[in-house]
Amino acid sequence: MDGSSLKSAQLLEQMRLHMATDAGKDIAKKVGLVYQFNIAPKKIGVDEEIFVVDLKKGEVTKGPYEGKPDATFSFTDSDFLSIATGKMNPQIAFIRGAIKIKGSISAAQKFTPDIFPKPSKL
Amino acid sequence: MAMRHLITGQGNCAPDGASSSNPFGNLANAIFGQSSKAQSIKELPGSAVNVPTTSELGTAAPLSTIPGSENEFKQDQLPLARGADFIRGGPSHDWVESFRPPGLPEFAVPDAQLKEFEQIFNSTGPTFGPPVMDGPPQRVLSGVLRSFLASGQAGVPFQPVPVPALGLSESDKQCIRDRSCIMARHILADQPEEYIQAQVNTLLHSLDIDSNYRMKGPMHGPYPEMEEYWNQSQSAMRSGPMHNAADKWITEFGKQNNNPEEWAHSFEQQYGSNGWASEFEQHQSQMAMTGGMNMANLAAMEQSRMLAQTLASNNDPKFQVCRIPLNIEHSMEENSKFFQFVSKMSRGELIIEDNQVKQGSASQSSGWADEFQTQYNANANSWADQFVHEEMSQGADKWASEFSTEYNQGGLNENWIDEFSKMRVDDEWAEEFSGGTFGESSADPWVDEFQNQLSASKQNSGASRGVYVFSDMNPYVGHPNPMQEGQELFRKGLLSEAVLALEAEVLKNPDNAEGWRLLGVTHAENDDDQQAIAAMMRAQEADPTNLEVLLALGVSHTNELEQGEALRYLHRWLQNHPKYGGIAPPQPTDSPYGPDVIRLFNEAAQMSPEDADVHIVLGVLYNLSREYDKAIAAFKTALQLKPQDYSLWNKLGATQANSIQSADAILAYQQALDLKPNYVRAWANMGISYANQGLYEDSIRYYVRAVAMNPKADNAWQYLRISLSNASRADMIAACDSRNLDVLQKEFPL
Repeated sequence: MDGSSLKSAQLLEQMRLHMATDAGKDIAKKVGLVYQFNIAPKKIGVDEEIFVVDLKKGEVTKGPYEGKPDATFSFTDSDFLSIATGKMNPQIAFIRGAIKIKGSISAAQKFTPDIFPKPSKL
Repeated sequence: MAMRHLITGQGNCAPDGASSSNPFGNLANAIFGQSSKAQSIKELPGSAVNVPTTSELGTAAPLSTIPGSENEFKQDQLPLARGADFIRGGPSHDWVESFRPPGLPEFAVPDAQLKEFEQIFNSTGPTFGPPVMDGPPQRVLSGVLRSFLASGQAGVPFQPVPVPALGLSESDKQCIRDRSCIMARHILADQPEEYIQAQVNTLLHSLDIDSNYRMKGPMHGPYPEMEEYWNQSQSAMRSGPMHNAADKWITEFGKQNNNPEEWAHSFEQQYGSNGWASEFEQHQSQMAMTGGMNMANLAAMEQSRMLAQTLASNNDPKFQVCRIPLNIEHSMEENSKFFQFVSKMSRGELIIEDNQVKQGSASQSSGWADEFQTQYNANANSWADQFVHEEMSQGADKWASEFSTEYNQGGLNENWIDEFSKMRVDDEWAEEFSGGTFGESSADPWVDEFQNQLSASKQNSGASRGVYVFSDMNPYVGHPNPMQEGQELFRKGLLSEAVLALEAEVLKNPDNAEGWRLLGVTHAENDDDQQAIAAMMRAQEADPTNLEVLLALGVSHTNELEQGEALRYLHRWLQNHPKYGGIAPPQPTDSPYGPDVIRLFNEAAQMSPEDADVHIVLGVLYNLSREYDKAIAAFKTALQLKPQDYSLWNKLGATQANSIQSADAILAYQQALDLKPNYVRAWANMGISYANQGLYEDSIRYYVRAVAMNPKADNAWQYLRISLSNASRADMIAACDSRNLDVLQKEFPL
């Protein structure tokens, strides 16, 4: 996650740490899927950075997944953050075209704000 | 357009319910209508606060700022009904629905669709119509409230009038209770406390409302109360409910949209074409009631599109006949002309007499169908009945001729049809929908519209960057010394009140850097970084080198995960520091390099290890670079120098929490809260730490505490919602969406 200027990268870094906790392991156990996130600074598809949240192994890594992720999401940095913090409903985001999804629909449905840890404020 | 009305309608009154708002709107009108002339309410009960006279605010302003009075006209109309319905529908519609392509088998069960439709129809149907618009309960309520007002002004005890059971819901009652309390205080400001109480009690008693409310104490006065309700109604527009409502709407829209034929088919199966036709005309008349509104037009068009498509896709000659006379042209405006025509007709403004359209007496409220029936009485059956009757009893091929014969017998002739074609409502209208483009062509703009609305409403709620959003109602405007008052309130920990006082100060003295700074600090402690940033930016404009302001901006941008900005302000902090300014290269850098800045601050820390501030900035910087261990060490060093700094304890806790030491974090937050019990940020952070440990039940209590102290803490509301669903407390999500603090606090005491 280092070297990324995306806000999302910070949240994903927190998630990476979170995966080591009991609560994180519970989430991994509950979901058990591999998500790939293509996150763009401003416009979907432009200058994307790719992250993988592997909820099978409980890992968060940078770079594309080797193999086939259960679902791949594309969104902008701020939309990803809005969704992960519960500001925006993923359904709405999808309908608005703020998320593009590839892969299994049923896997995509398990992508909710619940799986992300919440950042605390200084 | 449609969405705008849907949203505003919903936002206006969803939490309160439609029936109560309207009388209160009337009441508010009555009050301000009178008081705006000359009177001014000089002093509010129990507080030394001057309220601006209404004339100062301008006569129009008070009306729009009173909750409930807002646009009462709209409230009776379609969008509200829809919105309310969807709120009730709530969040239960999930993901699954919207993701599954409509073609999938599970989805296309006609029964389900039928139900959807019925649901829509049933719930919208009754609420359009006249019964609600002029409903007796409202009139009664309004009457009672007016007489209450009159007696208040005359200074005589209010004589309760026996009223029929109004069937007010609990929330209505609560709303009436609280608002009448507030209103009474305004109107009877010069009367003794007991008198006000007695008046309100009598009123409530006569309305069969439990009067066990508390009159709030002087300082917390009517305003927080008022604000709370205001927020409730506002929040419905901003967050949860709208999303959920819209979800459901979208889902349903999608379904209908993608399978219009099936929709029509199944509906027809259920009701027969008789039902279909009469439903349609009923719908027309209902829609006409809402006349002139775009929503109505759009909804009507939607109906008509369905109709048209059914007609076009049906090869049965009986339908074909319709295509010929309806000389229709594909154009929005033309369509709306058509509907204006129908609408006028149904309102009685136009009457068809001797096959001529005439201006009518406008007062007839019966629908298009009635009008039709009355005018062409010779035919005992309505057009729709006729239609079906023919269909049933005659061969389909004879139908067309039979139809026109019947028409003529009944006093109808082609002129009627000509009327329609003169309106230039046209045949492409029908054709368009026989093509398959319907779905895409209409859905996309619709979604765009929705998107615009969404972003617009976001901006209204203050999400637009760096623009400070003032509270709508501020009792401290006109206060002789709001700055002092604000400082006092801040010191007492009444953060939301302090915000109001300080806003009054910076409205009075926009260049008061200290006022803006304290306002920013207050917002930060109230867990609102957006507003904190906006206020701090104003403070920085007024005093560009203020170190506290620069640090606060650095911290708030860090919280918003905006590394670049955060780094810039913290760098500037060093540049402007009288002691360390020499270390930093003086030229302004737009994008300082993180490690460089950290190096400079470490130098500063070596220069004067006893300066807590340097360690604080270092801690923030290490948060930015996600070197949490170093950040924790820096904050701990600072705490040794400044053990009483509650915000420092919170910073330590937040850093620990972000580096998955949630248990330690809770201890640190506890320290902060011991020093400052009303520290909303620390309460919210507590909730986060519990939630991140998977202790959702516990987290809920802390979030509820946070939002109870600052109902505008949007983050905490969002997290509360997530925790509720994780803790399987879906039963409380509605209360969360409507921001019903009473319910939540009762359910989750701390």
